[in-house]
Amino acid sequence: MPDFSIRSDSVDVEQIMRRIRARIREKRGVDYTEDEIRELANVKLEKFLDPDKVRSDLIEHYRRQRPIPPLQTPPAPPNYGFEDETIYASSRSLSGRIIRLLRRILHPALKLLFNPNPVINVLHMQSAINAYQTEQFDRIAQKVGLGDELHALHYEVLNNLVVEMTKLGIEVKNLKMRVESLSSRLDFDERRARALEGVVQYRPASAVAGAAAPAGKTTAPAEPAAPQAQEGEQARRRRRRRRGRRRGPAPATAATEGAADAAPVPTGATGPGSEPAAPTDSSSDDSDGPDTPES
Amino acid sequence: MKTAIVVQRYGADLSGGAEVHARYVTEHLSRHVEVEVLTTCARDYVSWRNDLPAGVDVVNGIRVRRFPVARERDIFDFADWSTRVFERVHSVSDELAWIESEGPTSTELVRHLRAARGDYDYFIFFSYRYYHAYHGIRAINSRSLLVPTAERDPAIGVSVFGPIFRGVRALMYNSFEERALIQAVSGNEHVPGVVVGVGSEVGARPDRLRFRQKYGIRGPFAIYVGRIDENKGCQELFDYFRRYANNVRSRLSLVLIGSSILDIPSHPRIRHLGYVSDEDKFDAIAAADVLIMPSYFESLSMVVLEAWALGRPVLANAHCDVLLGQSIRSNAGLFYENYDEFAAALRTLERDRRLADTLGRNGEAYYRRHYSWPVVERKYLDMIDRLKREDEEGGVRGIESLPSWFTRRRKTVLPAAEVLAKLPCGPVRAPKPPPARQLDGKPAARAGGVARYGQ
Repeated sequence: MPDFSIRSDSVDVEQIMRRIRARIREKRGVDYTEDEIRELANVKLEKFLDPDKVRSDLIEHYRRQRPIPPLQTPPAPPNYGFEDETIYASSRSLSGRIIRLLRRILHPALKLLFNPNPVINVLHMQSAINAYQTEQFDRIAQKVGLGDELHALHYEVLNNLVVEMTKLGIEVKNLKMRVESLSSRLDFDERRARALEGVVQYRPASAVAGAAAPAGKTTAPAEPAAPQAQEGEQARRRRRRRRGRRRGPAPATAATEGAADAAPVPTGATGPGSEPAAPTDSSSDDSDGPDTPES
Repeated sequence: MKTAIVVQRYGADLSGGAEVHARYVTEHLSRHVEVEVLTTCARDYVSWRNDLPAGVDVVNGIRVRRFPVARERDIFDFADWSTRVFERVHSVSDELAWIESEGPTSTELVRHLRAARGDYDYFIFFSYRYYHAYHGIRAINSRSLLVPTAERDPAIGVSVFGPIFRGVRALMYNSFEERALIQAVSGNEHVPGVVVGVGSEVGARPDRLRFRQKYGIRGPFAIYVGRIDENKGCQELFDYFRRYANNVRSRLSLVLIGSSILDIPSHPRIRHLGYVSDEDKFDAIAAADVLIMPSYFESLSMVVLEAWALGRPVLANAHCDVLLGQSIRSNAGLFYENYDEFAAALRTLERDRRLADTLGRNGEAYYRRHYSWPVVERKYLDMIDRLKREDEEGGVRGIESLPSWFTRRRKTVLPAAEVLAKLPCGPVRAPKPPPARQLDGKPAARAGGVARYGQ
């Protein structure tokens, strides 16, 4: 049965939409918006991850990790390549050649004062060490950068997992409500069936015979009618039991059909104490043909 | 009396809301007044390439004068200017460069307007945001009417359009929401304006069976008509419909009509028919159970009006103020903000035929009352008569001039997106009456901007 049958030509689309929204809220149990679910999930994130099971400081750890500011140090100066000839070299073009020549000529005189070769060697080695260290630092920086991204990713994954868990939790809660509702209806149906069977069982046979015979007719004798009526009653009882078993607790669906079954969240609308509708054939609930309007 | 219609593109086979709107209005006005169309040689609205020959042409019996576009649009340059104007503090000069970059930059058209302003009594400009309208209205000044076709996008927050909205002689709005938006951004309540919209050329007797036989469509179906584009909300429609088809027991299919610039998902219940003739389109809408309009930005959805003209209900995106307002005022369509509402509303329309039929009947009545051609023509003619009377009385306003050379270059103008965000939003449920006017034609009391309307 559709939710919003109309009886006259005057419709109010705003009212229809209000009813549709109310029905969606009803089916969801509680109307959580995405933001609310996220907020709930944030609360649960701490609730889930704070205990000793995981790590007590995991949240703080991730929170600390997330907003790592980028490294603001100035770039390293270029490495200075130190060769044998470096101490004699000059940056000037023409005069540089003359200076270089003079330095070479005076080199033996310099060697008389001190030996520059170990200095040249050490500086050359220092240059090589600098280059090596720079390379190592670059690699470490790359690793740290990847680690940051990974931490952020882990945080996102954890957060999304908890959001999904929260949604699932809500869904499980709704499903539980629905199962409870259905089981209470089933109990009610069973009790009713038993009560009906009891009433039929203790009914006097004469009354059944009297009811079976048409009023005013006396041509048929009363004695043979009693066993026939009893057999007929037993057959009816058997049929009723079989039908009862086949039907199960079906009538509950009738109230939640229509537009509401389009909403993706499972229903938990009907409470356990509510009155079940009259049993109907469940196959007719969701036919594709036009529905009869609400009476 | 001679009237010129000035529009960015014009042709019998051109699609596009404003262009079809302009053509319909032109053809219907030509029954009452002498009309000539002034337009560009462009066919393509992205590049504005000169595909049609310059000079005089005749389209459906209407004289059309085409002018070449000086340069094609560079989409990267335009995107650059758009970012600058929409998202950063900028100058008036930047905004003028943005208009220049958007095009269609037809200086010859503007020169002709300036030279031939005495040959026409009134000029009706379409689409405020383009080069031809901005420079054309500045050239014509006191004899221009504007059909703004404004949507709720950042272009409405560009400051140079304020003097245009305040300076034209009259505005022919498409919807009450559009009027409220323009009045809020420009404070032009004193400018005569009327909500007109546009009629439709729906056939008198659409043949539903013929459409079903021709395209082999069985069972109930919802229909979308228009450009299949992410900007029109089609991606969201596909997502929602696929979820609906998977989660809800239903036989409803989705039929798409229109050229596609988006990948259409391969789904047994989604069918794309491509571009079809008008006859097939109207038959299809008439045969459909419901028309879905998923667009977030519309100034007036002609397809929605066509669905109502054909007595079909509509399911519209409630994020679009215009569609929401139209649905509420007409009582002829349901609307949705998210998947749950989409599914529930579609299910309701699918299952409750009586409700769907009632909404369709309401739509038909709404269309006949507000958008049938006699009503639309009357509104245009009444407005022209009113302007003629004002001309005779001599109460003609001028347009505000641009700021000085130095002021134009001062970077003090707020980002257009920020301006847009501050504008009121929501549907107009009960349209307010036009302001009372004094004898001199000025408004009785200046409204201090439009208060938040709707909710």
